[in-house]
Amino acid sequence: MIKNSFSKTQIDRLGDRLRRVPHTETDLRLLDGYRRSFGDAYDEVIRIIRERDQFPSGRSAKSIRSIADKLRRESIRLSQVQDIAGCRIVVTDVMEQERVVASFGAAFPRASVIDRREKPSYGYRAVHIVAEISGKPVEIQVRTWLQHTWADLSEKSSDVLDPTIKYGGGPVKWRNLLTESSESVASYEVFEKSHSVAVASHEVFEKAAAKLLEHHLSEHKLQKIRGEQEDLRLKISDLNKKLEVSWNKNVDRLTEAISWLDKLKGETP
Amino acid sequence: MIFLIEYNRSKGSIVTIRDFDDSQRREAEDVRIEMELDVNRKGGNNEVVLLEAASKDALRRTHQRYFADLDGLLKSAAGPIQGSI
Repeated sequence: MIKNSFSKTQIDRLGDRLRRVPHTETDLRLLDGYRRSFGDAYDEVIRIIRERDQFPSGRSAKSIRSIADKLRRESIRLSQVQDIAGCRIVVTDVMEQERVVASFGAAFPRASVIDRREKPSYGYRAVHIVAEISGKPVEIQVRTWLQHTWADLSEKSSDVLDPTIKYGGGPVKWRNLLTESSESVASYEVFEKSHSVAVASHEVFEKAAAKLLEHHLSEHKLQKIRGEQEDLRLKISDLNKKLEVSWNKNVDRLTEAISWLDKLKGETP
Repeated sequence: MIFLIEYNRSKGSIVTIRDFDDSQRREAEDVRIEMELDVNRKGGNNEVVLLEAASKDALRRTHQRYFADLDGLLKSAAGPIQGSI
Protein backbone atom coordinates (compact mmCIF):
# COMPACT_ATOMS: atom_id res chain seq x y z
CA MET A 1 0.00 0.00 0.00
CA ILE A 2 1.53 3.32 -1.05
CA LYS A 3 1.10 6.12 1.45
CA ASN A 4 0.19 9.28 -0.44
CA SER A 5 -1.10 11.66 2.20
CA PHE A 6 1.39 13.45 4.42
CA SER A 7 1.49 16.34 6.86
CA LYS A 8 4.21 18.96 6.34
CA THR A 9 5.84 17.83 9.58
CA GLN A 10 5.93 14.21 8.41
CA ILE A 11 7.49 15.27 5.10
CA ASP A 12 10.18 17.38 6.77
CA ARG A 13 11.01 14.70 9.34
CA LEU A 14 11.40 12.23 6.49
CA GLY A 15 13.66 14.76 4.76
CA ASP A 16 15.81 15.06 7.88
CA ARG A 17 16.24 11.29 8.07
CA LEU A 18 17.17 11.16 4.37
CA ARG A 19 20.11 13.52 4.96
CA ARG A 20 21.82 10.59 6.66
CA VAL A 21 22.90 7.28 5.17
CA PRO A 22 22.10 4.45 5.08
CA HIS A 23 18.47 4.93 4.12
CA THR A 24 15.90 2.48 5.45
CA GLU A 25 13.55 0.75 3.03
CA THR A 26 10.59 2.18 4.99
CA ASP A 27 11.83 5.76 4.44
CA LEU A 28 12.48 5.17 0.75
CA ARG A 29 8.96 3.80 0.30
CA LEU A 30 7.58 6.83 2.15
CA LEU A 31 9.57 9.14 -0.13
CA ASP A 32 8.26 7.23 -3.13
CA GLY A 33 4.68 7.80 -1.93
CA TYR A 34 5.39 11.50 -1.42
CA ARG A 35 6.96 12.03 -4.84
CA ARG A 36 4.14 10.12 -6.56
CA SER A 37 1.72 12.69 -5.14
CA PHE A 38 3.15 15.17 -7.72
CA GLY A 39 1.92 13.09 -10.68
CA ASP A 40 -1.41 14.87 -11.24
CA ALA A 41 0.18 18.33 -11.00
CA TYR A 42 2.86 17.27 -13.49
CA ASP A 43 0.25 15.96 -15.93
CA GLU A 44 -1.72 19.21 -15.72
CA VAL A 45 1.37 21.32 -16.41
CA ILE A 46 2.31 19.15 -19.40
CA ARG A 47 -1.24 19.42 -20.75
CA ILE A 48 -1.17 23.22 -20.52
CA ILE A 49 2.29 23.41 -22.11
CA ARG A 50 1.25 21.13 -25.01
CA GLU A 51 -1.72 23.41 -25.65
CA ARG A 52 0.91 26.03 -26.43
CA ASP A 53 2.56 23.81 -29.04
CA GLN A 54 5.57 22.95 -26.89
CA PHE A 55 6.54 19.34 -26.26
CA PRO A 56 8.64 19.00 -23.14
CA SER A 57 10.47 15.99 -21.74
CA GLY A 58 10.56 15.52 -18.01
CA ARG A 59 9.73 13.59 -14.94
CA SER A 60 6.75 13.47 -12.69
CA ALA A 61 9.18 12.78 -9.86
CA LYS A 62 12.91 13.14 -9.23
CA SER A 63 14.97 10.04 -8.40
CA ILE A 64 15.45 9.11 -4.75
CA ARG A 65 19.17 9.63 -5.18
CA SER A 66 18.77 13.16 -6.55
CA ILE A 67 16.37 14.13 -3.76
CA ALA A 68 18.66 12.72 -1.06
CA ASP A 69 21.72 14.42 -2.63
CA LYS A 70 19.88 17.74 -2.67
CA LEU A 71 18.85 17.40 0.98
CA ARG A 72 22.44 16.67 2.00
CA ARG A 73 23.87 19.46 -0.13
CA GLU A 74 21.47 22.26 0.78
CA SER A 75 19.85 23.31 4.03
CA ILE A 76 16.41 22.93 2.50
CA ARG A 77 13.39 21.13 3.94
CA LEU A 78 11.88 18.33 1.86
CA SER A 79 8.53 20.15 1.76
CA GLN A 80 10.32 23.15 0.19
CA VAL A 81 11.92 21.25 -2.69
CA GLN A 82 10.41 22.80 -5.81
CA ASP A 83 11.74 20.50 -8.49
CA ILE A 84 10.48 17.08 -7.46
CA ALA A 85 8.35 17.20 -10.60
CA GLY A 86 9.79 19.04 -13.56
CA CYS A 87 10.11 19.26 -17.30
CA ARG A 88 12.42 20.81 -19.84
CA ILE A 89 12.02 22.63 -23.12
CA VAL A 90 14.96 23.41 -25.38
CA VAL A 91 14.44 26.27 -27.83
CA THR A 92 16.56 27.65 -30.67
CA ASP A 93 17.67 30.98 -29.26
CA VAL A 94 17.08 33.71 -26.64
CA MET A 95 14.34 35.37 -28.67
CA GLU A 96 12.32 32.16 -28.73
CA GLN A 97 13.16 31.61 -25.07
CA GLU A 98 11.61 34.96 -24.23
CA ARG A 99 8.51 34.23 -26.29
CA VAL A 100 8.06 30.84 -24.59
CA VAL A 101 8.64 32.27 -21.10
CA ALA A 102 6.11 35.05 -21.74
CA SER A 103 3.59 32.51 -23.01
CA PHE A 104 4.05 30.35 -19.90
CA GLY A 105 3.80 33.44 -17.72
CA ALA A 106 0.32 33.95 -19.15
CA ALA A 107 -0.55 30.26 -18.80
CA PHE A 108 0.59 30.10 -15.16
CA PRO A 109 -0.05 33.63 -13.85
CA ARG A 110 0.94 32.83 -10.26
CA ALA A 111 4.14 30.99 -11.19
CA SER A 112 7.49 32.28 -10.02
CA VAL A 113 10.11 32.93 -12.70
CA ILE A 114 13.77 32.40 -11.87
CA ASP A 115 15.97 33.96 -14.52
CA ARG A 116 19.37 32.32 -14.20
CA ARG A 117 20.62 34.10 -17.30
CA GLU A 118 21.09 37.24 -15.24
CA LYS A 119 22.31 35.46 -12.12
CA PRO A 120 23.89 32.19 -13.22
CA SER A 121 24.25 29.38 -10.73
CA TYR A 122 27.91 28.24 -11.04
CA GLY A 123 27.71 29.14 -14.74
CA TYR A 124 24.34 27.48 -15.30
CA ARG A 125 22.05 29.75 -17.30
CA ALA A 126 18.40 29.12 -18.15
CA VAL A 127 14.96 30.35 -17.19
CA HIS A 128 13.03 28.28 -14.64
CA ILE A 129 9.33 28.74 -14.09
CA VAL A 130 7.82 27.17 -11.01
CA ALA A 131 4.11 26.61 -11.58
CA GLU A 132 1.88 25.44 -8.76
CA ILE A 133 -1.07 23.12 -9.26
CA SER A 134 -3.18 22.22 -6.22
CA GLY A 135 -0.33 23.19 -3.90
CA LYS A 136 2.26 21.08 -5.77
CA PRO A 137 5.15 22.90 -7.47
CA VAL A 138 6.27 21.81 -10.92
CA GLU A 139 9.47 23.27 -12.35
CA ILE A 140 9.60 24.11 -16.05
CA GLN A 141 13.11 24.65 -17.42
CA VAL A 142 13.33 26.71 -20.58
CA ARG A 143 16.80 26.58 -22.11
CA THR A 144 18.25 27.72 -25.41
CA TRP A 145 20.22 25.14 -27.34
CA LEU A 146 23.49 26.78 -26.24
CA GLN A 147 22.47 27.04 -22.57
CA HIS A 148 21.37 23.41 -22.75
CA THR A 149 24.63 22.24 -24.29
CA TRP A 150 26.55 24.04 -21.56
CA ALA A 151 24.35 22.45 -18.86
CA ASP A 152 24.88 18.99 -20.36
CA LEU A 153 28.65 19.50 -20.30
CA SER A 154 28.50 20.61 -16.68
CA GLU A 155 26.26 17.67 -15.66
CA LYS A 156 28.22 15.07 -17.58
CA SER A 157 31.59 16.26 -16.31
CA SER A 158 30.14 16.18 -12.77
CA ASP A 159 29.21 12.56 -13.40
CA VAL A 160 32.48 11.32 -14.81
CA LEU A 161 35.17 13.74 -13.58
CA ASP A 162 34.15 15.17 -10.23
CA PRO A 163 30.66 15.44 -8.66
CA THR A 164 31.44 18.91 -7.27
CA ILE A 165 31.93 20.50 -10.72
CA LYS A 166 28.22 21.39 -10.93
CA TYR A 167 28.54 23.36 -7.72
CA GLY A 168 31.72 25.27 -8.44
CA GLY A 169 34.29 22.62 -7.49
CA GLY A 170 36.46 20.18 -9.41
CA PRO A 171 39.71 20.63 -11.34
CA VAL A 172 40.56 24.34 -11.68
CA LYS A 173 41.32 24.05 -15.40
CA TRP A 174 37.94 22.47 -16.13
CA ARG A 175 36.11 24.86 -13.83
CA ASN A 176 37.67 27.84 -15.61
CA LEU A 177 36.79 26.43 -19.01
CA LEU A 178 33.16 26.03 -17.97
CA THR A 179 33.00 29.51 -16.43
CA GLU A 180 34.54 31.18 -19.48
CA SER A 181 32.32 29.15 -21.78
CA SER A 182 29.20 30.22 -19.86
CA GLU A 183 30.28 33.88 -20.09
CA SER A 184 30.98 33.42 -23.77
CA VAL A 185 27.47 32.03 -24.36
CA ALA A 186 26.06 35.06 -22.48
CA SER A 187 28.00 37.47 -24.75
CA TYR A 188 26.91 35.55 -27.81
CA GLU A 189 23.29 35.95 -26.74
CA VAL A 190 23.69 39.75 -26.45
CA PHE A 191 24.85 39.92 -30.09
CA GLU A 192 22.20 37.41 -31.10
CA LYS A 193 19.48 39.62 -29.65
CA SER A 194 20.85 42.80 -31.26
CA HIS A 195 21.17 40.94 -34.55
CA SER A 196 17.57 39.81 -34.39
CA VAL A 197 16.34 43.34 -33.62
CA ALA A 198 18.44 44.78 -36.46
CA VAL A 199 17.15 42.20 -38.97
CA ALA A 200 13.54 42.88 -37.94
CA SER A 201 14.09 46.68 -38.22
CA HIS A 202 15.72 46.20 -41.60
CA GLU A 203 12.71 44.26 -42.89
CA VAL A 204 10.28 46.93 -41.67
CA PHE A 205 12.44 49.71 -43.09
CA GLU A 206 12.80 47.96 -46.49
CA LYS A 207 9.02 47.62 -46.81
CA ALA A 208 8.45 51.26 -45.83
CA ALA A 209 11.22 52.43 -48.15
CA ALA A 210 9.80 50.43 -51.09
CA LYS A 211 6.46 52.20 -50.65
CA LEU A 212 8.09 55.62 -50.40
CA LEU A 213 10.19 54.98 -53.50
CA GLU A 214 6.99 54.48 -55.52
CA HIS A 215 6.43 58.20 -55.15
CA HIS A 216 8.43 60.96 -56.77
CA LEU A 217 10.80 61.99 -54.04
CA SER A 218 13.43 64.67 -54.07
CA GLU A 219 17.03 63.54 -54.61
CA HIS A 220 17.79 64.64 -51.06
CA LYS A 221 15.08 62.35 -49.61
CA LEU A 222 16.11 59.46 -51.86
CA GLN A 223 19.69 59.77 -50.67
CA LYS A 224 18.54 59.87 -47.07
CA ILE A 225 16.50 56.64 -47.46
CA ARG A 226 19.34 54.87 -49.29
CA GLY A 227 21.79 56.05 -46.64
CA GLU A 228 19.64 54.60 -43.88
CA GLN A 229 19.23 51.33 -45.78
CA GLU A 230 23.00 51.09 -46.09
CA ASP A 231 23.51 51.92 -42.39
CA LEU A 232 21.18 49.08 -41.39
CA ARG A 233 22.89 46.65 -43.76
CA LEU A 234 26.27 47.61 -42.29
CA LYS A 235 24.94 47.19 -38.75
CA ILE A 236 23.68 43.68 -39.57
CA SER A 237 26.95 42.80 -41.25
CA ASP A 238 28.89 44.07 -38.20
CA LEU A 239 26.68 42.03 -35.85
CA ASN A 240 27.18 38.95 -38.05
CA LYS A 241 30.93 39.37 -37.64
CA LYS A 242 30.60 39.83 -33.88
CA LEU A 243 28.45 36.69 -33.66
CA GLU A 244 31.05 34.75 -35.60
CA VAL A 245 33.94 36.01 -33.44
CA SER A 246 31.98 35.25 -30.27
CA TRP A 247 31.10 31.75 -31.49
CA ASN A 248 34.70 31.04 -32.53
CA LYS A 249 35.90 32.03 -29.05
CA ASN A 250 33.51 29.47 -27.60
CA VAL A 251 34.72 26.81 -30.03
CA ASP A 252 38.33 27.60 -28.99
CA ARG A 253 37.41 26.96 -25.36
CA LEU A 254 35.64 23.72 -26.23
CA THR A 255 38.62 22.60 -28.32
CA GLU A 256 40.86 23.39 -25.35
CA ALA A 257 38.55 21.30 -23.16
CA ILE A 258 38.76 18.38 -25.62
CA SER A 259 42.60 18.52 -25.51
CA TRP A 260 42.55 18.71 -21.71
CA LEU A 261 40.26 15.69 -21.56
CA ASP A 262 42.44 13.73 -24.00
CA LYS A 263 45.48 14.53 -21.85
CA LEU A 264 43.62 13.45 -18.73
CA LYS A 265 42.65 10.16 -20.38
CA GLY A 266 46.29 9.63 -21.32
CA GLU A 267 47.33 10.10 -17.69
CA THR A 268 44.62 7.78 -16.30
CA PRO A 269 45.89 4.22 -16.07
CA MET B 1 6.55 7.43 -23.84
CA ILE B 2 8.05 6.61 -20.47
CA PHE B 3 11.67 5.56 -20.09
CA LEU B 4 13.08 3.87 -17.01
CA ILE B 5 16.84 4.23 -16.97
CA GLU B 6 19.44 2.85 -14.60
CA TYR B 7 22.45 5.10 -15.04
CA ASN B 8 25.95 4.64 -13.71
CA ARG B 9 27.04 8.15 -12.81
CA SER B 10 30.78 7.62 -12.43
CA LYS B 11 31.04 5.67 -15.70
CA GLY B 12 28.57 8.06 -17.31
CA SER B 13 26.74 5.24 -19.04
CA ILE B 14 23.32 3.60 -19.10
CA VAL B 15 23.15 0.21 -17.37
CA THR B 16 19.60 -0.63 -18.46
CA ILE B 17 16.81 1.20 -20.26
CA ARG B 18 13.21 0.06 -20.52
CA ASP B 19 10.28 1.83 -22.09
CA PHE B 20 6.60 1.95 -21.18
CA ASP B 21 3.49 3.43 -22.77
CA ASP B 22 2.19 6.71 -21.37
CA SER B 23 -0.69 4.78 -19.83
CA GLN B 24 1.73 2.63 -17.81
CA ARG B 25 3.16 5.25 -15.47
CA ARG B 26 1.92 3.46 -12.36
CA GLU B 27 3.56 0.21 -13.47
CA ALA B 28 6.79 2.04 -14.36
CA GLU B 29 6.80 3.72 -10.94
CA ASP B 30 6.33 0.34 -9.25
CA VAL B 31 9.32 -1.08 -11.12
CA ARG B 32 11.36 2.06 -10.41
CA ILE B 33 11.01 1.92 -6.63
CA GLU B 34 12.00 -1.75 -6.60
CA MET B 35 15.09 -0.92 -8.68
CA GLU B 36 15.95 2.00 -6.38
CA LEU B 37 15.60 -0.22 -3.31
CA ASP B 38 17.93 -2.72 -4.97
CA VAL B 39 20.48 0.03 -5.73
CA ASN B 40 20.16 1.22 -2.11
CA ARG B 41 20.88 -2.31 -0.82
CA LYS B 42 23.86 -2.85 -3.12
CA GLY B 43 25.38 0.62 -2.70
CA GLY B 44 27.47 1.96 -5.58
CA ASN B 45 27.01 4.88 -7.89
CA ASN B 46 23.89 4.05 -9.88
CA GLU B 47 20.82 6.22 -10.18
CA VAL B 48 17.38 5.18 -11.40
CA VAL B 49 15.48 7.80 -13.38
CA LEU B 50 12.01 7.75 -14.87
CA LEU B 51 11.61 10.17 -17.76
CA GLU B 52 8.74 11.02 -20.07
CA ALA B 53 9.12 12.32 -23.61
CA ALA B 54 7.36 12.33 -26.96
CA SER B 55 9.92 9.83 -28.30
CA LYS B 56 13.37 8.43 -27.58
CA ASP B 57 14.88 10.98 -29.99
CA ALA B 58 13.16 13.81 -28.11
CA LEU B 59 14.55 12.42 -24.86
CA ARG B 60 18.05 12.21 -26.36
CA ARG B 61 17.84 15.89 -27.25
CA THR B 62 16.66 17.11 -23.85
CA HIS B 63 18.61 14.62 -21.70
CA GLN B 64 21.83 14.02 -23.65
CA ARG B 65 23.67 13.51 -20.38
CA TYR B 66 22.41 9.92 -20.19
CA PHE B 67 23.14 9.00 -23.79
CA ALA B 68 26.37 10.74 -24.85
CA ASP B 69 29.87 10.57 -23.40
CA LEU B 70 31.75 13.73 -22.40
CA ASP B 71 33.99 13.57 -25.43
CA GLY B 72 31.00 13.32 -27.75
CA LEU B 73 29.21 16.18 -26.01
CA LEU B 74 32.26 18.44 -26.33
CA LYS B 75 32.74 17.59 -30.00
CA SER B 76 29.09 18.16 -30.86
CA ALA B 77 29.10 21.45 -28.91
CA ALA B 78 32.16 22.64 -30.84
CA GLY B 79 30.45 21.81 -34.15
CA PRO B 80 28.40 24.11 -36.33
CA ILE B 81 26.06 26.32 -34.36
CA GLN B 82 22.35 25.52 -34.55
CA GLY B 83 21.46 29.18 -34.06
CA SER B 84 21.18 31.93 -36.59
CA ILE B 85 24.53 33.23 -37.78
